[in-house]
Amino acid sequence: MEGCIVLIITRISRFVSNFQNLVALFAGACIIISLAGILSLPLGFEEQQLYPKTDLDPASGLYPYDRGGVPFGTTEVVAQYPENSPYAGYVTAYLTPLSQYLADHTHYLGTTIVAHPGGIVDEILYNTRGLDTVVETSILFAAFAIASYLFRREAE
Amino acid sequence: MPEIGGSDLFVLEFGDILHYYTPYTTTLFVLALIFTALAILSRPEGQVDIAFGGDAYYAKETAVSEMRFRRFMTIACGLATMGAMGSGDIFNFTLFASLVGITNVGIVAAVKSRHVLDAAYEYGIVAMVATLPLFGGAALILATTGTLSIPALAAGASAVPLIGKALLALGVIGEGMAPFYAAKAEMFRAPGAPYVIMCSLSSLLIFLRVVEIAITI
Repeated sequence: MEGCIVLIITRISRFVSNFQNLVALFAGACIIISLAGILSLPLGFEEQQLYPKTDLDPASGLYPYDRGGVPFGTTEVVAQYPENSPYAGYVTAYLTPLSQYLADHTHYLGTTIVAHPGGIVDEILYNTRGLDTVVETSILFAAFAIASYLFRREAE
Repeated sequence: MPEIGGSDLFVLEFGDILHYYTPYTTTLFVLALIFTALAILSRPEGQVDIAFGGDAYYAKETAVSEMRFRRFMTIACGLATMGAMGSGDIFNFTLFASLVGITNVGIVAAVKSRHVLDAAYEYGIVAMVATLPLFGGAALILATTGTLSIPALAAGASAVPLIGKALLALGVIGEGMAPFYAAKAEMFRAPGAPYVIMCSLSSLLIFLRVVEIAITI
């Protein structure tokens, strides 16, 4: 019995110690956790994130980003720590005159507003979650540094 | 909710993202800081291989430029580890964890050893795939609770689903903890001691932190 257990442990450790099996092992772990995740469904969804979803107006040209608010006034944004982001919610204040014109005369500017400089999503992001954007670009920079180093080493 | 880290000593605010330092996370932070300082100051080792059964030995030569790049990656890894130690935001923590993963590959990327590069390649694949459960866990926690702030989650406003914690832990474990440690162990064969040890230390610290997070939230 004891010998059998030792044999099993030996086999497992031999499998685990070979890094060629690493991807298969990790895939197996992912499958197990994913199955556990599927079995734990349904999970409740917390709806009142970032801004209240109740007073959205589908007819607005800024839909779904029109959350009201006066330019250079304040708009309610649900921040985790509002005291750290005193300018959160100055949303429509960031529209350029052209964007304002497009919003007034066309529909669906809301779908492209994220591409505008200082678009709404960016504005909320930088106000409340600015450090994320810094770390994200750091990851890209690290990857680029490795790739460029290896590429230049090849050229030597 | 159990507070295993102790009470806050210092809180650094970045909008909705807090960095908080409890005695536990401060210890981990200081450890990462000291090791990064050591990696900056110390000279890399010169590996010597001894031929078995004889007096012959040969020293491995490593280029200065290679060491310089490896030191740069070690410092980046140390900074990412320090960031992850203090982070009070789950998504920010996952970002720092994946930055640690990619810099770990960078530390050994310059090594001219087929075996080490093979191991780094396998490690890189797993670290890359591990970002899926890592960010997935953070996304699940945000979707079900509406917040990513660890202090807010620790206050127990809403229950964090177990699967969210499991995905988060799986993601961090995939960045180089047992049982997915084999590739990292092979990566240590690379010459340049203070730098390759950073791979191990960063994983250890990140794992200690994710344990604290999983218990606290």
